[in-house]
Amino acid sequence: MRISDRRFALYLMTPAALFLAVFVAYPLFRLVADSFFKISPIAGGPRDFVGFQNYVTAFTSEAFTSAGWRTLAYTLVVVTLEFALGLGMALLFTTLGKKSQIWRTVFLYPLMIAPIVAGLLWKFLMIDNFGLIGTLLHQAGILSDPNQIGWLSDPNIVLFSVAIPDIWLTTSFMCLVLFAGLQNIPGDLIEAARLDGARAPALLFRIILPLLRPVIAVALVVRGIDAARAFDTILIQTNGGPQSASETMSLLIYRTMIRFGDPGLASAMGTIYLLAMLAIAFVAVATIWRPGKDN
Amino acid sequence: MSNASLATKASPPASDISEPQPMRKRRGVNREGLEAGKRSTRTILWILLAVAMVLYGFPFLYLLFTSFKTPIDTIAVPPTILPREWTLENYTNALGRSGVLASFINSIQTAVISTVLSLVLAVPAAYGITRYKTPSGQVFIMAALVTRMVPPVAIGIPLASMMSSVGLADTPIALSIAHTTISLPLSIWLMSSFFESVPRDLEEAATVDGCSRLGALWRVVIPVVSGGIAVTAIFAFLASWNEFLFALLMTAIRSQTTPVVIANFQTQFGLDWGSMTALAAVYSIPVILLTLLLQRKIVAGMTLGAVKG
Repeated sequence: MRISDRRFALYLMTPAALFLAVFVAYPLFRLVADSFFKISPIAGGPRDFVGFQNYVTAFTSEAFTSAGWRTLAYTLVVVTLEFALGLGMALLFTTLGKKSQIWRTVFLYPLMIAPIVAGLLWKFLMIDNFGLIGTLLHQAGILSDPNQIGWLSDPNIVLFSVAIPDIWLTTSFMCLVLFAGLQNIPGDLIEAARLDGARAPALLFRIILPLLRPVIAVALVVRGIDAARAFDTILIQTNGGPQSASETMSLLIYRTMIRFGDPGLASAMGTIYLLAMLAIAFVAVATIWRPGKDN
Repeated sequence: MSNASLATKASPPASDISEPQPMRKRRGVNREGLEAGKRSTRTILWILLAVAMVLYGFPFLYLLFTSFKTPIDTIAVPPTILPREWTLENYTNALGRSGVLASFINSIQTAVISTVLSLVLAVPAAYGITRYKTPSGQVFIMAALVTRMVPPVAIGIPLASMMSSVGLADTPIALSIAHTTISLPLSIWLMSSFFESVPRDLEEAATVDGCSRLGALWRVVIPVVSGGIAVTAIFAFLASWNEFLFALLMTAIRSQTTPVVIANFQTQFGLDWGSMTALAAVYSIPVILLTLLLQRKIVAGMTLGAVKG
């Protein structure tokens, strides 16, 4: 007997749904459950129910609140710079037209590099003493001493320095998406505006950016989610230091779990982090995507 | 990069970015539009592009140059850009370390298993979602989107303990399952976009000819979207190849992948910058070449969704 379309569709989706239920939803359930227990880090150790104690500890700890602010600052820095640079490159490639195509491809190469490698590479460029950036700035006469700027050792600027590899890695993505969006802007619209005497800035702010709005919004949300979860690049560059000045939420949770051996507290932090991400992302997606309004 | 998947249905003019050909047409439209006309303007823009490309390409070139320095010159003060003496010493040191070659095999194994698993699960699911617009399908694709927001650090530990309780601790299987939690939602999103672009008449014709629905999918639709499957496979492979956090949490000696080995160079062997740069170069170059070779497909995959109409 022939099964209904609806059932057939359900069968097709079942394996993937089961996979996500077992390997994503269940671990998430475990995470939330663990957040209500005081757990010994030793396998098979004691496990005591403590109610909301871990949440109270998290919210009252200075480390947690500052990691939250740092994650926010890091995300804003990364996304803003990436957007500005990505848009600049996308406009450059568009205005140069077809002849720049090969360079557009070359520009993509950092996207293929592992974040851990990118972090390592930039650490090597920025490190004190034998870092190349300080040396070059010194030789160019900008710095009086190659170590004048402690890119990765000065707590005041380290959060910006650790963001550089992330920006370097994914500006290409931003550029690619914005470039594709730019190709969809009808040429006659630009022509008409030009005939009306619009100059480049007016063209950019009055016509191009408003038309790109949906693409920009999606690119910002996608990158924002990723930047807020950054881990590899920061871990390899500074491990959250110096003095925790580059310790974002992912790193704090990781260290609470592994180094300080407090899975219960780490789970509570993870749960709060997850809820915050979901809330922010939902607000963002709902304003952009508006499911049901079209289709 | 991995998340071109947040498809928007609210974008302006529809375009099928999945097809390489229309690109030319669109560029033609734009030629009168945004493309710079004056010769002097173009020259300035080309110079700007050259500067940007040099700045953007330099970090990786410096990594390559450094990998050919002698281990002592690697950390010389002040550093030089080009090696004073070109040598393969860093490469022989890095590849000669115990566990390094094994980690390459682990990385390949893990990425291949994870790619296959992602495709096997994502292709039917995406087809079910796009062809039969059932409420369950809509719920499912939203759920897949939510999964993308889960911070890996939040599920890494529970996942690791699940794996060890079923005896899979420290195996490529366990790690590839973990990597699939990242690549599966992305694959479902990408494949859904590809299936959307296949005309429905194709299967209808096949079913009229007596093909079952599964038969139509397998014999008619899959060959049509094979390009899309290739794109999805590349993304799933890259997601696993470059992943670090799950690998750090879930592997010990036996199934360690190369990113973990690279990171371990920092602590385990003191600070061996030379070997690290050599290993990082060996690990990155194959995938960079892959990008250059398959750039059209990769561009299509990355822009799909984000700018889809």
